[in-house]
Amino acid sequence: MPSDLLLLLPLLIPLYGALLCLMFWQKEKWQAAMAGLAQVAWLAGSAFLLQRVWVQDVVSTQIGNWPAPYGITLVADVFSALLLLAGAVIGLAVYLFSLQGLDVTRRRFGYYPLLLLLQMGVSGVCLTGDLFNLYVWFEVLLICCFALLSLGSTKGQLEGTLKYVTINFLASGLLLTGVGVVYSLFGSLNLAELAVLVRQPTHPNLPLLSMASIFFLVGFGVKSAIFPLFFWLPASYHTPPIAISAFIAGLITKVGIYTFIRLFTLIFVSDLGFLLPLLAILSGLTMLVGVIGAAAQTDFKKILSFHIISQIGYMLMGLAIYTPLAIAGSIFFIVHNILVKTNLFLISGVVAERYRTFSLKKLGDVYLEQPILALLFLVSALSLAGTPPLSGFWGKLMLAKAGLTAGNYILVATSLCVSLVTLFSMTKIWNEVFWKPKAQSLEKKLTRAPVNLFRLRQLYLPVILLLVFILFIGVCARPLVQLSERAANGLLHIENYTETVLTNNNTRK
Amino acid sequence: MRTIIFATAIRYLTPVFLLFSVYILFRGHNHPGGGFIGGLIGSIAFVFHVLAHGSERTVNTYFQLTVFHQNRQENHSRTKYVWDLVGANTWKRIQPFKSASWQFYILRVRPAYMMATGLFIAVTSGVVGLLRGQSFMAAWWMEGEIPIIGAIGTPILFDTGVYLLVLGMVLKLVFTMSKE
Repeated sequence: MPSDLLLLLPLLIPLYGALLCLMFWQKEKWQAAMAGLAQVAWLAGSAFLLQRVWVQDVVSTQIGNWPAPYGITLVADVFSALLLLAGAVIGLAVYLFSLQGLDVTRRRFGYYPLLLLLQMGVSGVCLTGDLFNLYVWFEVLLICCFALLSLGSTKGQLEGTLKYVTINFLASGLLLTGVGVVYSLFGSLNLAELAVLVRQPTHPNLPLLSMASIFFLVGFGVKSAIFPLFFWLPASYHTPPIAISAFIAGLITKVGIYTFIRLFTLIFVSDLGFLLPLLAILSGLTMLVGVIGAAAQTDFKKILSFHIISQIGYMLMGLAIYTPLAIAGSIFFIVHNILVKTNLFLISGVVAERYRTFSLKKLGDVYLEQPILALLFLVSALSLAGTPPLSGFWGKLMLAKAGLTAGNYILVATSLCVSLVTLFSMTKIWNEVFWKPKAQSLEKKLTRAPVNLFRLRQLYLPVILLLVFILFIGVCARPLVQLSERAANGLLHIENYTETVLTNNNTRK
Repeated sequence: MRTIIFATAIRYLTPVFLLFSVYILFRGHNHPGGGFIGGLIGSIAFVFHVLAHGSERTVNTYFQLTVFHQNRQENHSRTKYVWDLVGANTWKRIQPFKSASWQFYILRVRPAYMMATGLFIAVTSGVVGLLRGQSFMAAWWMEGEIPIIGAIGTPILFDTGVYLLVLGMVLKLVFTMSKE
């Protein structure tokens, strides 16, 4: 397959899928079928893309044959393809979950097209090679997020969405300002050309670059929920139904971190002496605050939402240490976290599907009634906390080793303590939801949904699918570690990236 | 807003708005204009019509077509049957309502389908470039020119898609809001 096509498939497949869903607006079954096809095709497309960049390192294409610094560039390297693939896997899992786990009204009023458009936004962010387009794709993604979060218009959802929208629009304003500032400083928005320009030590505007970088630090800081800017996340992520919040919680903040790592290794490299200690402090505080917030919660979904913040800290930690191993650790951690977090959200959905509540106080006894589900939860939760043979361990190992080599002892110590507290709050969920006998006084108040075994098994399907991936990258971590190291290497040695984008000016005519 | 002057004026202005929007659409490749602004201007026509007559009447007038049909009788010649069918749907449209032997279909253009079609046309015009072995959205122009429209190529298709998308979007908004 030509690489032009491979790069465009992750954008075109969800778009065509959403289109077909729109055409079948009134036939919800057909919509589901089309969306399923699109999910599988997206997964296949991302897998092919990853295989291609494994061989070629970087592939790029120019939209409409306009040459590189002027036209729109699409470019993929190992990092972006890896993130896309992880997104595609959880896309498929969430889609499978939604078939049984989402009410018909929401499915009929555009859940599938919105999910697909959101995925198109994710592909766009991952594949774009242009700062302004990065902003535009982020907006595409966020608008779909708004619509999905408020889909169904319950009171809680609207409240959560309002917070999400207000703060994220502010962040978008900052980003747009940042894009403008970068353009006025360097006269270009193409990432590859910018990367070349900022590495010329004699460029007159170079000292002003760190000023521009602060706009992006704050803007993407809001979008990926790092320390002082995270408060919108726990306020909004627990409101929508699981089939919506699992995808958003699993992927969207990680896309923010993706852009963080991409921009701060590619463009904002002139003043690392100032940025890296700042990032280190932010990442430490993000981990700490997230996990402490989670310890105080008594709601299944809210605990998981707070843990997202704490894990964001780990991903930022790799960037703050800034060695190849550390960034590889971050990348490994991102992939691991996308899968595990989505899986935990889906499990909370399966529990709530039967018991109609997320509150830890009201739940109990799940282990007795659904032992398989308990086992699935246990493996995912231990993996999130980072117990040795499972996937979270390898990510944390890489990060800790890189931190110790670089001498960031305090950061490493913080991350290890936070791991312990994570284990504590996972144990809390385990105790309260699965282990504890149900309070007798509440027994009658809980209106339990009638058990439909076939339906319940269908809800297990996506959880098991994700767990297979989690176990695979845990037990057999080598391929993913290699991939992350390749990706980190590509991020820190950008010659290949810039050369591919700037010289591949479509020799074909 | 339902004054008689406004309502009468709008009946004559709607085609003008539409014609102008199409003109804007086609001059858009090399001059100011294009699909987006064309679609907005086109939607003005219908927005005013909704203001003057209410959304139900707008839908009846412009976005739905009632097709009358009946089964052919034994003693009815084939030519006469077709002639009657065409007649009932064109110059004798009032009559079928009165007789019981005529049934009818309602064909309706929903704004959502308009959006989907527009998006489809726009994206597919880009895919043409891919299919011809070039990059996405690489333009492909036909030989020769058509007097008013100008050269025909995939960018025109793209603009037309955007036109339909914007038109559908605004109409969806207007119809939904006028119902509430």
